[in-house]
Amino acid sequence: MYDLKIVVESIEGFCDLPMEIGDYFTVSGGKIEIPEGKHMCLWALQSLMPVLPAKQRELNEENDWIPHTKRFICPDPNGRVIFRIDRLDPKTGKPLEEEIEIPPRILVNPDACTGCRACETVCAFVHTQSFNALRSRIKIEKNEIKGEDIPYICRQCGDAPCIKACPVEALSRSPKTNAILVDEDKCIGCNKCAEACPFDAISFNENNVALICDLCDGDVECVQRCPTDALKFDNKGGRKK
Amino acid sequence: MNYGYCNKALRIDLSNNLIKKEKLDEEFLKKYLGGRGLNVRRLYDEVPPEVDPLSTENKMFIGVGPLTGTLFPGAARVNFTAKSPQTKILGDSNTGGFLGPEIKFAGFDQIIIEGKADQLSYIYIKDGEAEIKSAQHLKQLDTFETQKKIKEELGDNRVQTAVIGPAAENGVKYSGIFCNMVRAAARTGMGLVLASKNIKAIAVRGTKDLSARKPDKFKQLIDKMDEEIKNHSEYEIRTRLGTTQLISSLNELGCLATRHFQTGYFEDADKVSGEYFEENYKQKEKGCFACTIPCSRYFEITKGKYKGLKSEGPEFEGLAGFSSRVGVSDIEDALYGVDLCNRYGLDVITTSECISFTMELYEKGILTSEEIDGLKPEFGNSEVVFNLIEKIKNREGFGDILADGVVTAAEKIGRGTKKLAMHVKGLEIFQADPRGIKGYGLGVAVATRGGDHLRSEPWFEFSEDAEEGKRRFGHPESAFRLEYKGKGRVVKYYEERCVLADCLEACKNTVVNMEIISFKEAAELLNTLTEYRFTPEEIKKSAERIMNVERAYIVREGIRRKDDTLPDRFLNEPLPEECGVSAGSVVELEPMLDEYYKAREWEVNTGLPTESKLSELSLDKIMLDLKKREII
Repeated sequence: MYDLKIVVESIEGFCDLPMEIGDYFTVSGGKIEIPEGKHMCLWALQSLMPVLPAKQRELNEENDWIPHTKRFICPDPNGRVIFRIDRLDPKTGKPLEEEIEIPPRILVNPDACTGCRACETVCAFVHTQSFNALRSRIKIEKNEIKGEDIPYICRQCGDAPCIKACPVEALSRSPKTNAILVDEDKCIGCNKCAEACPFDAISFNENNVALICDLCDGDVECVQRCPTDALKFDNKGGRKK
Repeated sequence: MNYGYCNKALRIDLSNNLIKKEKLDEEFLKKYLGGRGLNVRRLYDEVPPEVDPLSTENKMFIGVGPLTGTLFPGAARVNFTAKSPQTKILGDSNTGGFLGPEIKFAGFDQIIIEGKADQLSYIYIKDGEAEIKSAQHLKQLDTFETQKKIKEELGDNRVQTAVIGPAAENGVKYSGIFCNMVRAAARTGMGLVLASKNIKAIAVRGTKDLSARKPDKFKQLIDKMDEEIKNHSEYEIRTRLGTTQLISSLNELGCLATRHFQTGYFEDADKVSGEYFEENYKQKEKGCFACTIPCSRYFEITKGKYKGLKSEGPEFEGLAGFSSRVGVSDIEDALYGVDLCNRYGLDVITTSECISFTMELYEKGILTSEEIDGLKPEFGNSEVVFNLIEKIKNREGFGDILADGVVTAAEKIGRGTKKLAMHVKGLEIFQADPRGIKGYGLGVAVATRGGDHLRSEPWFEFSEDAEEGKRRFGHPESAFRLEYKGKGRVVKYYEERCVLADCLEACKNTVVNMEIISFKEAAELLNTLTEYRFTPEEIKKSAERIMNVERAYIVREGIRRKDDTLPDRFLNEPLPEECGVSAGSVVELEPMLDEYYKAREWEVNTGLPTESKLSELSLDKIMLDLKKREII
């Protein structure tokens, strides 16, 4: 079991407790230790609580998100205090160097989406030379009366349930961009990947081949054509307006 | 595979329930480019002057352009063309949104609707096929409800619709066609033409492929234009405020239509401005199909008596129409007025003219309260504004007098009120005062669909770049809004740019106001997109040809130089003191008209297109028609 050090890494909003950057506490076994003179926000602690035992344990699941997911945000939307949880080396007591650089993927902010569907059009065009949105790997769902415009696109999940769900091994990771790639010859259009996708981001073309964002091999056309910041190509989580 | 053009038109004969496809050949497409061009040429050929606009013989032409549905920023537009029941001349109106691209993906460049259905119906077009469906259950539904219901019953949220509201069903002459909630082809009564054919809506869904002949080259050109747009000095304000930026800027210049053009300065402009709207109501930017300049806005009123009012827009014409033009200082009242017009399916410019006209007559004591159903239409009284909108929509009481437009209203009222009707050729004019923008004044006077600014948009007169003025239009004065010299040439040039925009079916924001593409770049785009070869000269000539077809069409309907004029007020009453630099201005129209006809090589005395000009533009058939009718 690891010992943990939980550090306030950054504050994007306003914390009136206040927590300050550099504040920390440690977890050793079942014991929480807050250094002399420091304090810890009850609500932030409450929300971190379920994660702490998970981070303490050494798990070796394939595609496990626990080891490299280090940052957690305070639930107060005004505060946006970001905590980093470091596992400590049992020998040295220093943080383990286990940070995995998450490759950039397309991040979505529906509140900024104008609903113009430029992303769909360019996606279809660069992949198939047709402007037909049916061929696009990103889809905008609109409700004009409510003013809703929601982009649906692959988030390149770490544990990729689509890859696991595919019965014919038609899906794989690009070694270059980490994007999920579809082997068009193998895909049988069984819809299993789409059913497994937590983001409803997979559709099929008329040949029943799965359409999944391939990150344009790193040169993301939809993001470049998005007139607002509704689409971003980034390795951070979070969404800002 | 379709490359830019589908080379196909869909003809729907409602009387005989006949649906057929017609091939569009290369020559026709090259000569008339797309959208507006295709439509007006067909209107000339198929709807002669004998046709009553509300009879079964009138036809509705719906056209999209070669760029529609492609990546070109703002190429989302579609033109609706017919003989206008409002003006009895050229009816033509254009809208953005998502309908145009859908028509293209359904496999057509043009849709022609003729005859009349035997009961209220809607047309459903999907991937090259069409059917007529009953719309009895949609009777009297407002435009929003109609759009929603059709999508629901077709079970496809991607269906795009063009609908009419109750105003059109009730016979209001200036009812429009509405898409994507508030995108309106509102001018010249195109909604009423559909209503006269018993058509409540057109629903379109397309999933056919559309490609570019040279995809890589086409993409490169688009990327270059995207860059130009992002770096353009107007980019930021257009995405923030859209057209509503004009309220404060025109007010500063002293030419914002205020209290029925009695002045050009509205003292409460800052309470109804685009900036005020942005700060207090805007929730996010909205855009038309594939547009990188999202100039529309989604908004919500979250408190007060209009709590829960949410919609898209408004555009400048609606916002100023229901604020400064009628003297209303509360922006929420104005937003509510615009919303009523959108839902009922009314043209905001004409509606606001009819109401502000009534207000001025009441103020001057020409009309009494008894004559206006007991209402007291003082400027600024928003309740009366809403009441009159309601009455117009239902054609009841005084609303029935206003429902045919301001000219007919003035005729019915008599008492010399025609002088106060703010229209040209039966079409009410926009929310800017021509006295402070002379080029726009000329543009509105000669516009082929009647008093409208979108036929020319000669924005160059705001540039104040004397050198450019001399270089481009022969006179340094042409770059200054209060000057006259060179304006004939400026208007001619921008008329042709507007034709280009309306034929490619791209937005005038990009093609006209931001001048993003030249005729040369237009040719490059079409040469990489379509199967045909275009030269810049050919495109320019086509734009001029289309202008001449439109002129020939209205000339055939009886329009002459005497009709190319402005309301009396703009010619004779100087703008008052408070209008700053514009104060004291009237429009001295005649010299500008002379210059314009000369630039067009038309007959200066009559405004008739000449035989030689028509021949030069390969319009011999039209030339012979006009000769046969002893017009030229």
